[in-house]
Amino acid sequence: MKALHRRRETLPAMLLLAPFLAAFLLFFLVPALQTFWLSLTDSSLTRTSAFVGLANYVTLVQDPSFWAALGNTFYFSLLTVIPLTLLGLVMALLVDRFSRAGPWLQGAFFLPFVLPISVMTLIADWMLQPSAGVVNHVLGMQRAWFADVHWAMPMVAIGTIWWTVGFNMLMFLAGLRNIPRELYEAAALDGARGWALFRHITWPQLKPVAWTALVLQLIASLKIFGQTYIMTTGGPYNTTRVTLHYMYETAFTQSDAGYAAAIATAFVIVVVLLSLLQGAIARRLGGAK
Amino acid sequence: MNRRTLLALLALAPILPSHAAEVQLVRMWTLLSGGDGARMRALVDEFNASQQAVRVESTTLKWGEPFYTKLITGSVVGAGPDLATIHLSRLPNLAGGGVLRPIAAAELAAVGLAGGDFLPRQWTKSQYQGRTYAVPLDQHPLVLYYNKNLVGKAGLLDERGQLKPIEGMAALTDALRRVKAATGKPGLTMESAQSSYAIWRLWLSLLAQQGLPIVANGRFAYGAAGEATLARIAGWFQAGYATPGMDYPASTSQFMGGNAGFMLNGVWEVPELVRGSKAGTLGFEYGIVPLPKLYGDASAWADSHGFALPANGDKPMSAAKAHAVLSFVAYVSRHSMGWAEGGHIPAYRPVAESAAALALEPNAQYAAAAHNVVYDPDGWYMGAAGPLEAIASKFLPAPLAGQLTPADALRRFETEAARLLKKRAPLY
Repeated sequence: MKALHRRRETLPAMLLLAPFLAAFLLFFLVPALQTFWLSLTDSSLTRTSAFVGLANYVTLVQDPSFWAALGNTFYFSLLTVIPLTLLGLVMALLVDRFSRAGPWLQGAFFLPFVLPISVMTLIADWMLQPSAGVVNHVLGMQRAWFADVHWAMPMVAIGTIWWTVGFNMLMFLAGLRNIPRELYEAAALDGARGWALFRHITWPQLKPVAWTALVLQLIASLKIFGQTYIMTTGGPYNTTRVTLHYMYETAFTQSDAGYAAAIATAFVIVVVLLSLLQGAIARRLGGAK
Repeated sequence: MNRRTLLALLALAPILPSHAAEVQLVRMWTLLSGGDGARMRALVDEFNASQQAVRVESTTLKWGEPFYTKLITGSVVGAGPDLATIHLSRLPNLAGGGVLRPIAAAELAAVGLAGGDFLPRQWTKSQYQGRTYAVPLDQHPLVLYYNKNLVGKAGLLDERGQLKPIEGMAALTDALRRVKAATGKPGLTMESAQSSYAIWRLWLSLLAQQGLPIVANGRFAYGAAGEATLARIAGWFQAGYATPGMDYPASTSQFMGGNAGFMLNGVWEVPELVRGSKAGTLGFEYGIVPLPKLYGDASAWADSHGFALPANGDKPMSAAKAHAVLSFVAYVSRHSMGWAEGGHIPAYRPVAESAAALALEPNAQYAAAAHNVVYDPDGWYMGAAGPLEAIASKFLPAPLAGQLTPADALRRFETEAARLLKKRAPLY
């Protein structure tokens, strides 16, 4: 009887899962496996010539350009992951705190997130123009920010934070609104307020959200490509060229799809390892559930 | 007509001879934009109006790497156009990789063209392993533009108002210094921001003037002289004779605005000067000379546009289509006087050597450049928007802005490019 009941649930479940499963197989798993296969070959943009085993990976570990690009990717992540998460939390707390202005704030904070990357990069580019940009106007400078080896990456990071912080705010806001009001009422009766409320109720309840936000943000930041590709074209002299940009150039400018696939595969491994590491740290600190 | 006859006619339509079936449609992809694009569009329109048998439809795509990526992938899967404009500097990459289809001498003869009709240097550059892969259209060398008003104040003009000959690196540097001293404006403008190509082209020209190869036996071979040459150029910027960090539009508008004595650029900026001069908006008199002899000779970087036929995978072109395509190419060759007004030097000799072309101003001022042109050296990674130029455009501008020493910039350039030199040419 129970088995029959289970079977009755299996079919609808399979049917409901099927579209996602098909898309996952067709557009993710199969291409991912093909990419791995490609990384073991000597291939141009369009033609697979010969199986070369791990030769591309041997080249990769000795390739200073790859390590430099990976370093730039980490630098960008360092500049964005924690600021984006913290700022998202602060914005969510502000929206939650001010009941009247809250929705307006929420709209203002979230608005940049809806911009396409081309619009966002154009705005950033205009604001940072050496002679006509508003930033230089306010600072009384003529700095070419995106051509400056020290400022290019931080400026890309600031643009990205402005652009995407709205999403993190929404996540924290959802978390905040899930905290039972009774907890605050009970604590208030015991005389707790302000910082004590945040430290003993809000933060412990928000921790899982915070860790999720951090993991998602880490993956998003490591995947950076469009912003630097458009705003700095990887310059000056490759100091803002990130891993995916190097992969793109290898595949399309240099017609070396085999090596580009090796870069992609190695990068996936790095991202997965970092995500696992972060998960392990989260469990150590008792944040993740 | 009743319904039955109509149906019968419709059923027969595919086998009935019709006027539409006789017109050969030629699809062309070009990377020509701006003034070049407008001039090519005009040639296409004139050709379409001149006859009924062939109709050319031209599509303009984004210059540079996107164009070549699309051409390569399109041709490989058989979805490429019937005709494409390319840079001859990319021929070893495109012909060697199997992207293009060779053009037989008989096919050219059928539309009245022969190898001897084209200037020898361009014709040679259209060959790959003994076969013709392109019909050359033009040549566009690096030249030296000058502002007569500013340069005159520095005492650099002769009594006829022409630039006094400049010979040697020291003489050019001195000329730039004198313009700066006499007018307070930069002596030179050239594209120098990150991702600029101009410095690669100038550096390549000056290496050729010293007889130095860039690459020999699969290694970079320019050595200390290459570094010293880059340092001399960077020196102009460090001394304030030129403004560093200018992108292409900023550098050309600095010159067009009358704010620099000289401009180093390709001849493709000629139409803008002609237009401004005619409209009276330019505000100064200009002159153009070939890149001076700064070292051993007067070699100057140049590239050429040419027409090529994509191989289109397993969908080879019919003989009738090939004839139609080449008849358009022949038409453009014969009418390339209009193309010359874009500043380019035509490759088709009957036009290039005609009295009209030789008298065309301002082209006549720099016509001598044609005798000393050097292309990017042969190699699959060479050429316009090719892999090596792309890498050079990242590192070579840095010393001009004082961000890297010339030695450091070249070291980084070589590190990044080393993998390219070792790799064998890709097959597509």
